[in-house]
Amino acid sequence: MIIESHDFVLAKMTAGVTTSTICLCTVFIVLFNVYVDSQDTDAQLCQMCEGTVRQDSPVWDFCLTKGHIRGRCCFRNNTSNVDTIIGDLSNNPISNLSDFIFQGFSHLTQLLLPSKLECPGGNASWEKVEVKNNAKICQGQTNICNQTVQMPWDCPENSFCSPYGPGFFECSCLHNFHGYKCLRQGEFPIVKVLGILTGSTVVVSSLLWFTQRRKVKNT
Amino acid sequence: MWPPYTYHHLLAFLLTFLSYVLLHSSRKTFSNVKVSISAQWTPSAFQQNGSTSSLSPGETWEENKLFADMGEATLFLGALDSIFLFSYAVGLYISGVIGDRFNLRYVLSFGLCGSAVTEFVFGTLTEWLQFYNVYFYCFLWVINGLLQSTVWPCVVAIMGNWFGKSGRGFVFGLWSACASVGNILGAFLASSVLKYGYEYAFLVTSVVQFAGGVVVFFGLLTSPKEIGLSDYSETSLRPVTRDTDSQRPLISDDEDELCDEYSIQQRDEEPEPQPKAIGFLQAFCLPGVIPYSLAYACLKLVNYSFFFWLPFYLSKNFGWKEVQADRLSVWYDVGGIVGGTVQGLISDLLGKRAPVLAISLLLAMGALVGYSHSPNNQLVNGALLATTGFLIGGPSNMISSAISADLGRQEALATVTGIVDGTGSIGAAGGQYLVSLIESKLGWMCVFYFFIIMTGCSILFIIPLIYCEIRSLCRDSQARTHQL
Repeated sequence: MIIESHDFVLAKMTAGVTTSTICLCTVFIVLFNVYVDSQDTDAQLCQMCEGTVRQDSPVWDFCLTKGHIRGRCCFRNNTSNVDTIIGDLSNNPISNLSDFIFQGFSHLTQLLLPSKLECPGGNASWEKVEVKNNAKICQGQTNICNQTVQMPWDCPENSFCSPYGPGFFECSCLHNFHGYKCLRQGEFPIVKVLGILTGSTVVVSSLLWFTQRRKVKNT
Repeated sequence: MWPPYTYHHLLAFLLTFLSYVLLHSSRKTFSNVKVSISAQWTPSAFQQNGSTSSLSPGETWEENKLFADMGEATLFLGALDSIFLFSYAVGLYISGVIGDRFNLRYVLSFGLCGSAVTEFVFGTLTEWLQFYNVYFYCFLWVINGLLQSTVWPCVVAIMGNWFGKSGRGFVFGLWSACASVGNILGAFLASSVLKYGYEYAFLVTSVVQFAGGVVVFFGLLTSPKEIGLSDYSETSLRPVTRDTDSQRPLISDDEDELCDEYSIQQRDEEPEPQPKAIGFLQAFCLPGVIPYSLAYACLKLVNYSFFFWLPFYLSKNFGWKEVQADRLSVWYDVGGIVGGTVQGLISDLLGKRAPVLAISLLLAMGALVGYSHSPNNQLVNGALLATTGFLIGGPSNMISSAISADLGRQEALATVTGIVDGTGSIGAAGGQYLVSLIESKLGWMCVFYFFIIMTGCSILFIIPLIYCEIRSLCRDSQARTHQL
């Protein structure tokens, strides 16, 4: 899936964080397979603003060969996996952009910003930063988890680091660990345990009842 | 002559033993999962370059904000402990009376099953429903304290029905191991299930406890009379070796009015057809109840506080790890069980309980002094702990079980047990707070002095009883020499 923009409205489905800066009437839509479940929502977003993808953006170039355009979105041809995302925010009168907007965009491989702005996460979060055609191009996110020099922290126990956007990381639970703070491991065999306990209770109770309480004399 | 015990006695012993084991194991489970619960209630504390920021994804690391940090959660858990102890103490007074009035078996099963349900709701249901609420937890724990308090008076009363005074000290001493066995079982259950989540630790202990309640309901005979055996509690406590006829004529002594009141153990029981349960105040005024209750308050304070604060003291003072400190604490428990059994046996043979208690407590004061100067050596420390446990835990076990059964006679067994243990629990609850106060203001040495003073007070409270029993011991030995 591709990000396209002229004017910039960012819709992040799960976290519900929206930043709308300038939306003249073009809207660009961000869609991620990982966040969006249904085709209907895709369709709605893609039709949010009228018109279609701008022809002079790299999104158009990409889409010509590798995807098909629907509304303001470019959908990859055969797919459900996201591995390339390009965002074009150049030519927007944005004066500053919070880094946190990009939190979660771990598949953003190329980002074009107005030349005055800095790449989110700083230059260290990108492999190549250059200015071309009055736009700053941030290319190739670096994996923050591999940069031990820059990471004075570790993910807590039972979790591992994975990239989560330029300059961001998330700690996901290791295999077999789950739950809050990855504290839980494995699946408790509840049926087996309850079954054994119920069975033995019935057996012991009946045994005792026959040997003990049945002999009770009612005085 | 050893009283004729049947396999019914064994079953009554085992079922009552099991009931209290299950209770204590659920309490120990709660203590052992405290770290996991407080982790569940708090967001992650995450430091990055000196400023705190949050980890992603939020659902895994930041979502639960019942308490801002582990410190607050720990404070709340401590408050829960106090709430539980307080409602347990109040409940003990009530449950004893209820147990004597209604069927002991019903009350016991109700307490076990009800407490199991409460623990299930507290630990498992709230986690499954993701419902965390401070007031709900407090409310549940009050209910739990009240329900758990039904167990001890009932089990002691049932044991009192089955085991007459003559063998009681020894049997009760063995039986008092139930608390320690419960602790061990609880620790074992918690540690084996904790990795799946603390809610499963609660699930397992509450289901097992509920099963125990069901088994007790269907299998327990509350008294030998239910199946037509004779009621052993009618036989009075006399030294096992002596001939019963010899003592009567020689003990007429008018100055002994005070001691007559206290010679509960020498009096012959008139066999009553169906003893009525007596009221709370009447039970309170039975001879010996007040002195023993107050003595037990002091003793349980020392016992509980020593046991609770021991790992903390060991790790602060000697720098030992918590696991090592926990393992050492087991020696205190073991000493207590051995002490209760041996001293119970001695008091059975002697026919008197108070002198045995007095000697043990006097020696305990010395043991406490010795322990406070213990060197930084795990072996020596363990040996001293076992000795202290023997000398303090022994009398403590005896008072709360065998002596309560003695005092209550037939009609007020559960009520008196409830009164003695209730007073003891209030002492223990107060002690928790006092120890932390003294330690923070005055240091550990003063805590030990406080324990020594409390042990001394418990001796003071039972001095009248000691005096009377020693007197009658001397008289009996005079009577014996006159006979020969």
